[in-house]
Amino acid sequence: MTQPILSVQNLTMHYATRKGDVSAVDDVSFDVMQGDALGLVGESGCGKSSIANCLLRLLPENARILQGAVRLDGANLTTLPEDQMRAYRWKRIAMVFQAAMNTLDPVYRVGDQIIEALHTHIETMTNAEARERVAELFKIVGLDPALMDRYPHEYSGGMRQRAVIAMALSCNPDVIIADEPTTALDVIVQDKLLREMCNIQKTLGMGMIYISHDIAVIAEVSNRMGVMYAGRLVELADTADIFARPQHPYTYALMSAFPSITGPKRELTTLPGEPPDLLNPPPGCRFHPRCPRATSVCARDVPAFKAMDARHSVACWHPVEG
Amino acid sequence: MLKYIAIRVAQIIFTFFVFLTLIFFLLNAQPGSSLIDQFTDPNMTAEMRQAIAKSFGLDKPLHEQYLIYLGNFLTGNLGVSFSNYPRPVIEIIFERAPRTLILFLSSTTLAFTIGFTMGKILAWRRGKVTEYVATIGGVTLYTIFLPWFGLMMIWFFAFILGWFPLGKFLDPVLWRGAPFNSDVIFGQMLTTASAVVVALFIVYFISRRLDPIRRQPTQIGGALVIGAAVLAVWIPHPAARYALDILHHLILPIATLATVSFAGSMLLTRNSMLETLREDFVMAARAKGLPDNVVRDKHAARNAMLPVVTAFVFGLALAIDGGVVTETIFSWPGMGQTLLQAVSRKDIPLAIGGLIFGGSLALTAHLIADILYAYLDPRIRYS
Amino acid sequence: MTDSISTTQSLSRESGVELDLLAREERITPVPLWRVRVKLWWRSARQNAAIFADNKIGLLGLAIILLFGVMALAHPILMATVWDARTYDPITGYSFDELRQPAPPSARHLLGTDPLGRDVLSQLMYSTRNEFILGLLAALITVTIATTIGATTAYFGGVYDMIFMRVADLIIMTPAISLLIVMCALFNPDLPQLAVVIGILSGFGGTTIIIKSQALSIRVKPFIEAAKVAGGGHRHIIMTHILPNLLPFSFLYMMFGVTAAIFSEATLSFFGLLNVRMSWGIMIFTAQAAGYLLSGVEYWWLLIPAGASITLLCSAFYLVGRALDEVVNPRLRKR
Repeated sequence: MTQPILSVQNLTMHYATRKGDVSAVDDVSFDVMQGDALGLVGESGCGKSSIANCLLRLLPENARILQGAVRLDGANLTTLPEDQMRAYRWKRIAMVFQAAMNTLDPVYRVGDQIIEALHTHIETMTNAEARERVAELFKIVGLDPALMDRYPHEYSGGMRQRAVIAMALSCNPDVIIADEPTTALDVIVQDKLLREMCNIQKTLGMGMIYISHDIAVIAEVSNRMGVMYAGRLVELADTADIFARPQHPYTYALMSAFPSITGPKRELTTLPGEPPDLLNPPPGCRFHPRCPRATSVCARDVPAFKAMDARHSVACWHPVEG
Repeated sequence: MLKYIAIRVAQIIFTFFVFLTLIFFLLNAQPGSSLIDQFTDPNMTAEMRQAIAKSFGLDKPLHEQYLIYLGNFLTGNLGVSFSNYPRPVIEIIFERAPRTLILFLSSTTLAFTIGFTMGKILAWRRGKVTEYVATIGGVTLYTIFLPWFGLMMIWFFAFILGWFPLGKFLDPVLWRGAPFNSDVIFGQMLTTASAVVVALFIVYFISRRLDPIRRQPTQIGGALVIGAAVLAVWIPHPAARYALDILHHLILPIATLATVSFAGSMLLTRNSMLETLREDFVMAARAKGLPDNVVRDKHAARNAMLPVVTAFVFGLALAIDGGVVTETIFSWPGMGQTLLQAVSRKDIPLAIGGLIFGGSLALTAHLIADILYAYLDPRIRYS
Repeated sequence: MTDSISTTQSLSRESGVELDLLAREERITPVPLWRVRVKLWWRSARQNAAIFADNKIGLLGLAIILLFGVMALAHPILMATVWDARTYDPITGYSFDELRQPAPPSARHLLGTDPLGRDVLSQLMYSTRNEFILGLLAALITVTIATTIGATTAYFGGVYDMIFMRVADLIIMTPAISLLIVMCALFNPDLPQLAVVIGILSGFGGTTIIIKSQALSIRVKPFIEAAKVAGGGHRHIIMTHILPNLLPFSFLYMMFGVTAAIFSEATLSFFGLLNVRMSWGIMIFTAQAAGYLLSGVEYWWLLIPAGASITLLCSAFYLVGRALDEVVNPRLRKR
């Protein structure tokens, strides 16, 4: 419990475009402990998915990791040679993709695609063993094992999503990254799957990073959560704590934009302005142009990401008093 | 799957009869209307004319002529060649068709394989220079004037370098007094080639069901055994030298035809592959930790192949036309050369026979490619 | 596929909507409608030209076509001024100055003379005009047929659609050059007749299928539905909504049609099957028939200029077609 299984330190990543560099991830640090479910929340384009891709190093050609480290077992995944990196993918960090509908290759049987992952990482595994494992995985995610010899187009959306989760679980990874895996599904299926995913994660005791723009979903699945704004992590704490005492003005604004059914009735507030253009991010705190509490220091200096207490960190010059 | 094949077969057979009908009306639509007027071969005697007129029912009304024509076709009677009198057209087709088939099959297979492989590599490693070179080179080869290109190939590889014969099917000096019939030897070579292809497929399908660590050894071992078997049959074969001569004559026409037709597949594969590479399942395949070449070949290229196969099917008729031109340039005694010779000698029955052969070849190739496509795309197979 | 097309369509549709709005405002503002139309058309033409110009390979193709165009136009002028007909006529001329025919290139005959003593450059330039006429005529017929059938089959569907699609299938599966070889032997056509046959064959064949698939994606757009709801007749919808959006694709496939037509003509005249007195194919045919096939470098001017011209002009139209493809299919553009 003391040692994190995955540790991200000062990760900074840019996309080189024709118009200049897009600062997609800037100085982001967080740890994932055994059994942790870390939620990353933020608006679209804030760099959540870029972080996920950095962890597996599945980056487009124009992406550059400028600094920082992703540590797993003492190895730094950002500098590992490509052939060694392959051994970490899926076996140690697996991923459930955003568009899970299209994650399955349409020309192969679903079971075979999972077996392919198994064979890649466990070379001595026989076909019979692999099929047995797939059947077992299908049961875990609530699919009929007989479906493993069907093709993706014969599956419904929910079934494909389950199959993708089964695929992510196949090599018993230490960490699973789930990048908005349920957005394409209808609300009922979404909710059911979400619960099941939580159960599986708790039962198997692996770490999970759950990425979503939907704070309600994060609240449901995660025990820790990080709030991202314009490529930076602005607040990181236990989920319950953040909901009780949001300290960054952006988190505060997010909470007020989120209606509570059981709590007292209150006015929903919206945040004025637009998220900044990451080609040309504002100096200092990137949130300052929209922040009601901003002062001149916010426009000048980048606030440090400092711990308010042992489990709650904020990057803000003028945190909201809890 | 069976239903799909059955429907396709029925469609193809129907199309074939429409094709036959069109040819019939084409013959009757010409100025002077009667078929017999066109048969102006000076060597033709009055009896010959009458025999032909009778066998085609030329004295009867048009619809009866049509039925006779169809009936003749179904019984394999395509008339008698004037320029090879009195050999029936069907016999000439049977003699020469295998030579055309081998040219067509090997050059299209080669062209598709090369085009697909190069296109997929071009898409995988993109670069400005390679892109320009590939596009301009590809388009030039794709639109090059084939007869001229064939002449250039002969001039350079056969005349200047002397690597290959100047054309023809075999070396008449070598074969003079040879104790073999070239068609028999060629038939044996074809049998060997088909057996090798079938055997390789069997090895491939068996190895796919094996456990992963035993797959590659089985494939390599199987290929070695097949290769050894071919050598064991052919090295002690008394006609080995003659077979080599035929092979030697085959290389340049096949290379010419493959060179002009691979570019289309290459350009298309590249475009299709660039699109496929943006698909999520390619990203997922990389995330699974698969090696780059597996991601490229097994996932990206395999999906990118589907539209390429469709376009390839559309291009089959074009490839047959290319074969006609190539055969003529290389004096390759197949159906293409036969067609042109027949046309230049006004040997209409033989020309029609050649056209019908070309049409049936195109239709059959189309059918096979359709079935292959269904095999490649499970979404068609199971719907 | 649909995405990309919707982008193009939405572009043109937006301009359509704008037009409607402007048309209604016309009562108030004195700007005449045709000026608005011209302005909009000019703007989109400029944008498309910019996209086209971005593609260097397409520009190269255009340059080659222009070069050949100049050659074709220059021939009658040269014949009327500098070249005297007795020596330089591409068909009946004879160079009495040369002792041996074919004569190598000289100041008098820049590309030498052919085995019959005729000036090769003059033949080359004279044939260029024929190739253009044949290629463009055939492509025009192809595209006219294909667009008409494509638009109507996509719109009406049903049995009408099925019949034309089966016909197209049949033509696709027919080896066209083999068929043309037999037809030429039977009918011995001249150039315009050949252009018509090629145009009909490819117009009812592959081009129809491609244009129909584009028309289908236009047919399912909301503005077609809107036009129907507004009470537009079939004719009106096809003419004013489907066709204008289909024309860019027709123009694109016309380029590929030119390539195919020139190629077919060259092949047929190379085999001496056409009732044509001079063309690039015939130039190679003449050289080959006179036995200069394997002369290679020694008599290069007999084989290289004509062969290279066919290849160059065919690829030039093809390259322009590819570049236009990027203009009408945004999906293919560089990211």
